[in-house]
This record gives sequence, structure tokens and C-alpha cells, in this order.
Amino acid sequence: MAELNETIHQPVRLQIMAALVTLEAGNEVDFTYLRDLLKVTDGNLGAHLRKLEEAGYIAVNKTFVERKPHTYVSATEAGRRIFREHVAALEKILKGK
Amino acid sequence: MNISPTEAEEALAAIQTMAQKTRKSIASGGTYITLIITGLVWLIGFLSTQFLPVGIVAYIWGGLSLTGTIAGIVLGSRMGNRVRSPSTAPMIRRVGLFWLLLAFFALAVIAVARPADGKQATLLVILFLMLGQMAMGLLFSFSSVWWTLPITALALVGYFLLPGIFYLWMAILGGGGMIALGLYIRLRW
Repeated sequence: MAELNETIHQPVRLQIMAALVTLEAGNEVDFTYLRDLLKVTDGNLGAHLRKLEEAGYIAVNKTFVERKPHTYVSATEAGRRIFREHVAALEKILKGK
Repeated sequence: MNISPTEAEEALAAIQTMAQKTRKSIASGGTYITLIITGLVWLIGFLSTQFLPVGIVAYIWGGLSLTGTIAGIVLGSRMGNRVRSPSTAPMIRRVGLFWLLLAFFALAVIAVARPADGKQATLLVILFLMLGQMAMGLLFSFSSVWWTLPITALALVGYFLLPGIFYLWMAILGGGGMIALGLYIRLRW
């Protein structure tokens, strides 16, 4: 049964997950791109990403591109499933209005 | 965890907005750069073709094509770093091969058809370029396909109905239109 997820429901984390699950499975986005898309600060985004990573909903990949450090973020399979369940729970609440 | 229907509605709206924003951002990323670079090349190139002697025009087009290609590769690879996809990485070599083969076919068609004048040769090159761009759009992001159709239509209208000012038409409406569209996608989407 679909249930609401407290970790995901926080507004910024909800937007992070919405952006990441929109990408095709396996695709990852640059940290700065995600920061600009969400219009949040580096520190704010970093803190929310840590929470999602600890929960196992996203994967963070630190690498070098053309000798510059880059951080890439993607939704894990578990994260995609939990997010789908969260959306289904929200829709159920709305239908029962 | 319990929330009200109003909160649920707001959360769903926020999800939908972010998903739409992400899709548009990814789709427009490469498109606006392609449009602005190609538009600048066309604007300068076709204005030169309309008003300058043939001898100088060949050098201008050569320089513009080289600069445009280098700028496209550099900016395109920077934009490509924003979203990484394991499925598209092996495609890069095939994309390069596709453009090389398309150039070969374009040259072969022009050699066989022997265009009567520069306008006919230009239109053939434009048609092949738009075909290539459309293929790239269909391959990577369907939302970046549509702009090739009005540009192709503009080129055909200019060629058949306004042959006297064909190059000027392509510079202002083709090149200028692409620049305006690229800026619109960058600033307003």
C-alpha cells in the first residue's frame, strides 16, 4: 500500500526527487545544475542531498571532468520506487477530499 | 504521517512544476546554443553573400563554418557535463560518423545534380543541414526537432518566391530568427 514518506515530503527534498526521477534511469545531474534549477544555496542543497543519500534514495558520485572536481547526483532504484509510492499516496489523499 | 488534501494538492503541484522545469531545461540546453551559433553563422554568412564579391565570400563562409563548429563542440561539451547519461556516451562516435556521412551524401548530391547557381547549391546544403539537425533532435530530445521545420519552410519560400533577395531573406529571417528563438528559449523558458 502506498504511504507518505517523511524524508521525501520536505519541500526542497520533494523538488530534488521530482527533478531526479524525471531523468531517465541511470542518468545523473551535476550539483551546480541542480542548485540552479532549484534556486537554493550550495549548503542548503548539500544538506538535503546528504539526508536523501543516507536514506538510500539518491547516489552521489564525486569525479573529475577535465581536471575539475564535479559532483553528480542520481535517483537510485529504491528512491524512484519510494517516490512513486509517495506520489500515489498524495493522489489518494486528494481523491478522498 | 498525516497531511490535509490541500497540502497534498500543493505537493503534487510542486512535483509537476519541477518535473516540467527539468524536462524543459534539459531539452533547451543544447537547443539554444545550436540556434544562436547557427543563427550567427547564417546572419553574417548570408549578408556577406548578398552584398560582397564571390571571392571574399568563400573565405568568410570557410572561417564562419570553422569557428561555428569549434564553438559548437566546446559549448556543447560543457552543456553535456550538466547531465551525464551512460546510454548516450557510446552514441557520440556514431553521431560524428553520421555528420561525416551526411556531408559526403550532400557533396555527392550536389556533384550529381550540378546546381545551376549558388542559390540552388545553398538550398541543398540547408536542406541537408536541417535533415541532420532533425535526426539529432529525434535521437536525443524530441522537443528540439520542431524548429528545423519553420527554418526549412522559410528557406523554401525564399528560394521559390523571392529569388532576388534569397540570401538577405536567409540572413534576416533564417539567421536572425534562429538567434531570436535561441535567446527566447534561454531567457523565457
